[in-house]
Amino acid sequence: MAEIRMEHVSFSYEKGNYVLKDINIKAEGAESIGLIGANGIGKSTLMKMLVGLNQGFEGSVLVDGMPVEKNTLNEIRKKIGYVFQDSDNQLFLSTAYEDIAFGPKNYGFSDEEVARRVARALELTGITHLKDRQTYKMSGGEKKLVSIATILSMEPEIILMDEPSIALDPRNRRNLIHILNSFHQLKIIASHDLDMIWDTCERTILMADKRIICDGDTKEILSNRELMEENGLELPLRLMK
Amino acid sequence: MHMADALIAPAVGGAMYVCSAAAAGYSIKKVREENDPKKIPVMGIMGAFVFATQMMNFTIPGTGSSGHLCGGMLLSALLGPYAGFLTMIGVLLIQCLLFADGGILALGCNIWNMAFYGCFIGALLIWKPIMKNGITKGKIILASILGCVITLQFGAFSVTVETMLSGVTELPFAAFVAAMQPIHLAIGAVEGIITAAVLCFVHEARPELLYCNEQAEGEGRFTFKNTVIVLSAIALLIGGVLSCTPLVSGNPDGLEWSIEKITGSTELDAAAGIHDTFASIQDATALLPDYAFKGSESVLGTSFSGILGGLLVVALCIGACYAFKFFKKKKS
Amino acid sequence: MNQISNAIYEIHHMDTIASRDQWVNQIHPLVKFVLTVTYIAMVVSFSKYDLIGLVGMMVYPIAGFILAELSFKDSLKRLRIVIPLVCLIGIVNPFFDRVPIQIGDITVNGGVISMFTLIFKGIFTVLAAYLLIATTTIEKICYALRLLHLPEIMITQFLLTYRYVTVLLEEVNRITQAYSLRAPNQKGIHYKVWGTLTGQVLLRSMDRANAVYESMLLRGYDGSFSYMGKDIGITVPDVIYMIFWLAVFIIFRRYPVFLIVGSLF
Repeated sequence: MAEIRMEHVSFSYEKGNYVLKDINIKAEGAESIGLIGANGIGKSTLMKMLVGLNQGFEGSVLVDGMPVEKNTLNEIRKKIGYVFQDSDNQLFLSTAYEDIAFGPKNYGFSDEEVARRVARALELTGITHLKDRQTYKMSGGEKKLVSIATILSMEPEIILMDEPSIALDPRNRRNLIHILNSFHQLKIIASHDLDMIWDTCERTILMADKRIICDGDTKEILSNRELMEENGLELPLRLMK
Repeated sequence: MHMADALIAPAVGGAMYVCSAAAAGYSIKKVREENDPKKIPVMGIMGAFVFATQMMNFTIPGTGSSGHLCGGMLLSALLGPYAGFLTMIGVLLIQCLLFADGGILALGCNIWNMAFYGCFIGALLIWKPIMKNGITKGKIILASILGCVITLQFGAFSVTVETMLSGVTELPFAAFVAAMQPIHLAIGAVEGIITAAVLCFVHEARPELLYCNEQAEGEGRFTFKNTVIVLSAIALLIGGVLSCTPLVSGNPDGLEWSIEKITGSTELDAAAGIHDTFASIQDATALLPDYAFKGSESVLGTSFSGILGGLLVVALCIGACYAFKFFKKKKS
Repeated sequence: MNQISNAIYEIHHMDTIASRDQWVNQIHPLVKFVLTVTYIAMVVSFSKYDLIGLVGMMVYPIAGFILAELSFKDSLKRLRIVIPLVCLIGIVNPFFDRVPIQIGDITVNGGVISMFTLIFKGIFTVLAAYLLIATTTIEKICYALRLLHLPEIMITQFLLTYRYVTVLLEEVNRITQAYSLRAPNQKGIHYKVWGTLTGQVLLRSMDRANAVYESMLLRGYDGSFSYMGKDIGITVPDVIYMIFWLAVFIIFRRYPVFLIVGSLF
């Protein structure tokens, strides 16, 4: 079973200047967790620590019981799929197929297995028709779905997403929510789109001032006007009026 | 600066391909030795960056015109000579294929004239020695301007030499050089200043991105002496290959060279001209031995024959194409 | 449209016509690549006075344009870049080369002939290159280059550059537009912001490169790209196409076909 455990984790890019302080998170199973907080609060930094892109932290970060360190990175990155905010950075090859096949190929799967995984990832995201389409010809919504497919083809146990709904039109956004809800992996979604968090996550972690302020039921946290406004956020649109 | 295919002879194009390939091979070896997996995405995106920013127009104060960024020097200062050179090849290939900016056969020349000088001379002989004891703003400006001017002078001179060797222009060598060098002196100075401005900004914002920073003392594997040896070896190579031009240009048609000699020389009577040339081809190849130019005796002459023949062949060609397409469609 | 939007349009447009489902587009990329290079080499190998022989080489672009259903108008854009350059070099020939040359029954200065030869060479080589790129996508050209054993690192780098050219062109376009909206009377970019404006784009590109690298790392990248792209086999029609054109090239290169045909009458 997928499990993430962060204990007393602090992180700084420059010595003494902490970006994250004393973070404690435990997540397991098929949980879906929203990660919210004002701009530049360290949401991406936190997620990047889980996949070993930000190393040199204090405290312990465990993925499936394995500590995140140099010699476990390969194993850990196989288990975790990370969807970047800018799809253009995730899709660096010419066609959807090549990009989705990139991960499985690097992990040395046979050609048939690669093809099977790509087909499955395309099916799960409902974009089989985009298989041979060139990346630069796709719309923002299509690119996002292909980005998600690029990590699904590695059949990860854990999915991390950085602002998945940003720059999507309402219809593509709705479609994305629908697709996210059909996944059964452990998910952490960092976003400012609180309505999407409301629709996709049962648990929410609110961050402010380098720390975790609150960790609990999504609806409880998001509807607490005082708490939200204190930490530089607002109520989800659906609760306004 | 981009040479078109029409300006070069196959032998010159081929020789320059060989030279550029040698430099590319060496660069690949060097980049592999560095063994930095991050280099590939950085090279890819920096190539795109150079391509995109070379389209920006920078207004030159006091004049109505605008200048552009010098890709070779910029890449040298960011990626070093080897990765910079490979990146420039990518940029030139895109310019050549997608925008007809420089020909396919002339690509070897263009790589040499722009990428090789810009990256190897620019990075190894100018940037690196100047930055030896640390990078400062003044040194960046000096190196950028010096680098752009010198590498562009080399490039422009090479363009002249390659064009002359290809024998496409009757312009005297001296006149050609006199036309090319001063223009590129001005262009080089402007490009140098623009490049310096960008590099100074990088130096202030993110100095670690610049080549030669910190590792100034570094490995020193590539010393000045080595550079000179390599450069002269390459110069010898080019010279050697180019001096074989008459021999090479004879292929695949062994006659071409001699024909050029005949038609090019003034001894030839005007009356003989092209006719004789063609006749000599006929004789030599002997595929159509008893063939005679009827037209030369007719009133209308060979020029008429040529035009008539041309029209017929072209019409035939067009007709055949349409017929081919017609049957192709019918079949499928 | 400005120069940058033009370039973006051009890249998309070329890709659209190259990926048409069309007979010539399906021919093996290596065949087309080799033919193009051979053709260009043969065209430029004509001697400077051999105008009649050279003109015969026009059959390839003519046939190519018809077979591939390309519009000649589109290719004019590319000729526009090359022709002035070639003319500039060629225009001096009539002044320096006054050797009388007889073309059939007309006597002209050698320089005039060599000028026209140069211009025709310019036109033919550009058209041949256009024919290649208009019927072959960049990915397929890279496939052909792979078959020719071009090192993987160069192809990968080239494909990445190609992939991000449009992304960065759009970024540069946004920035220059934002700039010109606030500096309406300037033709280009003022020297005071040369460094900062371009430098910003540079730093952002570097960040992008870093993000791309991270996204590669997270999908198991270890410095080497495994082979990508589908295998394309060489078929019998490919071989026939190749042999046919090579034969045509050689015949037209060796014999003044136009003259021979014309004098039969």
